[in-house]
Amino acid sequence: MAPITDGQSLKQLVLGRKDVQDMSDTEADLPPDLMTVNMGPSHPAMHGTVRIVLTVDGEKIVKGDVQPGYLHRCFEKESEYATYTQVFPYTDRLNYVSPMINNCGWAMAVEKLMGLTGKLPRRAEYVRVIVSEMSRITDHLTCVGASAMELGAFTPFLYLLKCREWLYQLLEKVSGARLTHSYVRVGGVSKDLPDGFAAELLGCLDKIASVMVECESLLNNNKIFRDRMAGIGKLTKEDAIKTGCVGPIARAAGVDYDVRRDYPYSIYPEVEFDVPLGTTGDCYDRYLVRIEELKQSMRILRQCFAQIPDGPVMSDDHRVTLPAKGATYNTIESMIRHFKHIVDGVRVPAGEGYAFLEGGNGELGFFVVADGTGRPYKAYCRSPSFVHLSTAEMLFKDHFIADVVPIFGMINMIGGECDK
Amino acid sequence: MSQKVLDALTAALPGAVVRTGSAHGDEIAWIKREELVPAATWLRDDPKMLFDAPVFCTCIDWLDWKPVGRPVAEYWNETKPRFTVAYQLRSTTHKHRLRLEIELPENDARLPSLADLWPAFNWQERETFDMYGIRFDGHPDLRRIYLYEEFVGYPLRKDYPKEKRQPLVRRDDLPINPIKGPHAGEHK
Amino acid sequence: MTEATDKVTLTIDGQSITVPKGTNVLEAAKLLGNDISAFCYHPGLPIVAQCRQCLVSIEKNPKLQPSCQQVVGEGMVVHTTDPQSTLARKQQLEFTLVNHPIDCPICDKAGECTLQKLYFDHDNADSRVDTAKVHKAKVVDLGPTIVLDQERCILCSRCIRTCDVVAGQHQLEFANRGDHEILTTAPGEQLDNPYSLNTVDVCPVGALTAKDFRFTMRAWELEATPSVCNGCATGCNIEIHHKNERAWRLVPRLNAEVNQYWMCDEGRTTYHPLREERLASAIVDGLPASWDKAIQAAAKRLGVFLKDASQVGVVLSALCSNEDNYALAKLAKAWGAGHVYVAGKPPVPARADGKLRVADVNPNATGVKAICEALGLNPIATYELDRGVPANLRALVVLGDVVPGLDATKLKELEVISLAAHERGPVPHARVALPIAAWAETGATTTNHKGLVQRMHAAFAPPGAAIAGWDAVVRLAAATGQKLAWTHPRDVFKDMTQTVVAWKDLAWQRDVRPLALRFAGSRG
Repeated sequence: MAPITDGQSLKQLVLGRKDVQDMSDTEADLPPDLMTVNMGPSHPAMHGTVRIVLTVDGEKIVKGDVQPGYLHRCFEKESEYATYTQVFPYTDRLNYVSPMINNCGWAMAVEKLMGLTGKLPRRAEYVRVIVSEMSRITDHLTCVGASAMELGAFTPFLYLLKCREWLYQLLEKVSGARLTHSYVRVGGVSKDLPDGFAAELLGCLDKIASVMVECESLLNNNKIFRDRMAGIGKLTKEDAIKTGCVGPIARAAGVDYDVRRDYPYSIYPEVEFDVPLGTTGDCYDRYLVRIEELKQSMRILRQCFAQIPDGPVMSDDHRVTLPAKGATYNTIESMIRHFKHIVDGVRVPAGEGYAFLEGGNGELGFFVVADGTGRPYKAYCRSPSFVHLSTAEMLFKDHFIADVVPIFGMINMIGGECDK
Repeated sequence: MSQKVLDALTAALPGAVVRTGSAHGDEIAWIKREELVPAATWLRDDPKMLFDAPVFCTCIDWLDWKPVGRPVAEYWNETKPRFTVAYQLRSTTHKHRLRLEIELPENDARLPSLADLWPAFNWQERETFDMYGIRFDGHPDLRRIYLYEEFVGYPLRKDYPKEKRQPLVRRDDLPINPIKGPHAGEHK
Repeated sequence: MTEATDKVTLTIDGQSITVPKGTNVLEAAKLLGNDISAFCYHPGLPIVAQCRQCLVSIEKNPKLQPSCQQVVGEGMVVHTTDPQSTLARKQQLEFTLVNHPIDCPICDKAGECTLQKLYFDHDNADSRVDTAKVHKAKVVDLGPTIVLDQERCILCSRCIRTCDVVAGQHQLEFANRGDHEILTTAPGEQLDNPYSLNTVDVCPVGALTAKDFRFTMRAWELEATPSVCNGCATGCNIEIHHKNERAWRLVPRLNAEVNQYWMCDEGRTTYHPLREERLASAIVDGLPASWDKAIQAAAKRLGVFLKDASQVGVVLSALCSNEDNYALAKLAKAWGAGHVYVAGKPPVPARADGKLRVADVNPNATGVKAICEALGLNPIATYELDRGVPANLRALVVLGDVVPGLDATKLKELEVISLAAHERGPVPHARVALPIAAWAETGATTTNHKGLVQRMHAAFAPPGAAIAGWDAVVRLAAATGQKLAWTHPRDVFKDMTQTVVAWKDLAWQRDVRPLALRFAGSRG
């Protein structure tokens, strides 16, 4: 190998910017200074671009400066210039592994300000819950699969992504897109479920259940997986509450909080489901909580299909619904209404309100300030990933660099939701 | 729904509460800036309140506030405070929710930080500072979070045009000439 | 309680409001944010209560009253949300829409249409009509500026009243009866009065459309910037509606003192020259050059003559803003220039009709006069140059591109430095031409014939390398050894208002952000 040029040794390149001559013999082999290691923003394990500047003492992390914002796409500023319906595509791109839930959250916020909460057709509510739970399953499949892969378990990753693929294809049948659905509307959903959907989805759930058995047998008692996940990234219950953690992370730490059960919305009071709770709050508990939630989501889906009534999937309130095409082209009233809906947007009376639901990562909420026009005055997204990412520094402390991967994976920081 | 919370707050700290209100099922209490920390501490620690879970912190800029269907007297003008910082709190034990709103004038947009009481507000206050320029006194690390340090302006303010461009910034923590490795110059 | 005040307190939907005596209930409700829907009412026109859209219930009154005509009374109790008024409003809209053509996709007014707005806000019900609509003429040429679509007309008579009141000529009227009633021109008349385009503004629907604007741009895409018309010395307050760095139309803005709600047709077309023959780069000896080269060349040529400043002349322009003229006048004074002229278009006596149009078609003649008086300069009108150029005049710095009296032969004999926005007039003959911004592209003020100084706002950036006129003068001054320490139009304004005594109490208005029309709802 040719000698390194520029008067710098390989050690210096690797160990930092210290002049080699100044170090003692033992120092030159093991420098005692803290070293700064940069992870990201372009990094395979930094899901959705986050930069972590780790200050390490050997392999042990002393401080981690987590720097989000590389995926900031000005959701709030853009929403102020778009009509309420035009914001739905923006919400798709927030938590992009469970987009239907974001859509539902935004619709709920606008409906709350218009006084339409609880006045939607029953079928619309059921469809929303069905697609939300499907999205929740895809979120958990992605999180668990990607985390497993980062720890070296490639097989479960592919198995779980195969399941996710089945769900994406079904969601594509429903909305027309695999990920960027924009399916939900203020007042309901844009179109009904396709024919034969129930049978397809239920068959898919059976297949997913059997794949979950395989994956759990590969991971749950796998020594490598458990060693790398158990006892890592412990979060106490008090810390979880103080730092605003919600969702699977909080439940793994023992915080018994699930928006679907505690502040029920939509038709969740009509379905039965359990809320899994962890004890230690470490990565392994988070993994188990997610797996169990996935199974509960499947349980909810089966109940929904047993209970779903027939009927319209969109409210008939003229303030929110587009008229039928035939009427639009043939009567001036419907033409005007269609026009005003598209150009001016759904009129929301002036006021402010916060509506929240259980996203894949916990309490996802939208704080909307309306000013009586068809465009929001302010649209703030309370993203659980952002809050959870703020706990990362606390979780990394006194762990090794290699532990960053499972911790970060199990936080499930979705870049789009974190950075908005 | 949590009208009891508002009543208890007004009874316990009458000097802190400017007014209370309820809108669409949300309870809101407008708090004076100077009394914010005592009020927040009481809300967190009082056994009947126990607001231990922070939900969000954000800011509303009223500069363009001309609500349709509301009296003209409610439009914003220079005599009214320009910013309102909103903190949403939740109680895990009692399950009630509350929003605290603090009104700030444009030329003095600062208020005490609640990051010590609820660590979640650390990053959220940084976000509010980043986007609106609200300064939080006592915040351990008030710097931009989403945007880069050289960004000029506060983008979510209503007078920041959406189309405004910022100049490109060179990163000065990277070397101008990359360190040449052992095989430098071999590829042409 | 009887008090000798001129305020009246009444209650509308349980909310109390105090308004000046003589206000109608419709306006009082607007202050409470309550839009009681109206078509034929316009604050600048006589009230006819013809459309019956604004009916409200007033206690102690058995029948519904039109709120536009009902003057507020002390202690009056008005209900607008009770079932009777609400039903009346919905039914009136239903009647209006029975024969309305389904034209929204092709109608110019879509996006700023009052009928669309009121239907969506107050009715929003499905159609109950299954019969064929009544057909009327669709493209009626009413005159040189306006096209009428009789089917869209909702017969509110705003246009008829506009012609009667604003133009003083009765040129429009209704004909026929029932659902065949149409708008048409008065017998033997055409809609050709000089204020005809105001009818397009007041028309709540797309029945009257301007030939100049129709089918060019959709209303909700536009952004509005306030400014002042530069068509004549009246200085009507306008809004420039622009998009993508170009102006698409000018509409009047309310100013009770100057122009109320109106402006004349000629003023509306003054946005076209903003894109005609624009000088976008500095020109030296007929070839484009950079600003630095041009300023150097101008300074060099002028320097030769500035040794004896009586050889140098300056032409101020009554078509340019106060700031541009002040800058150049101050520079002339600093040089000690021997000749000061003022250029402007010749007056058009036929225009003076006692309404909005005046004979003086220069927007800023008064301003230039005030500036020159304050600086102690005695400008001569450039017409005098018709009789002959003074023997010792060798170099001329010309502001603007309209210089009557200076034709090509005279210009050839002089050394001309031109500061202009358009490439015409003296510019092709100038040694050095410096591009400056036009009236819609820079923050500046102008003075109308009554001495009122009004602020214009910049709607978009000037084309190419053009900068504000005063800025060009600052650069020229620096190159010729004079110092004008201004970096912002506010600085020029401050200096100017301290010099011109009559303007000393004026304050510089901050730049306003353009208002996107899609946020503004309907203008009608």
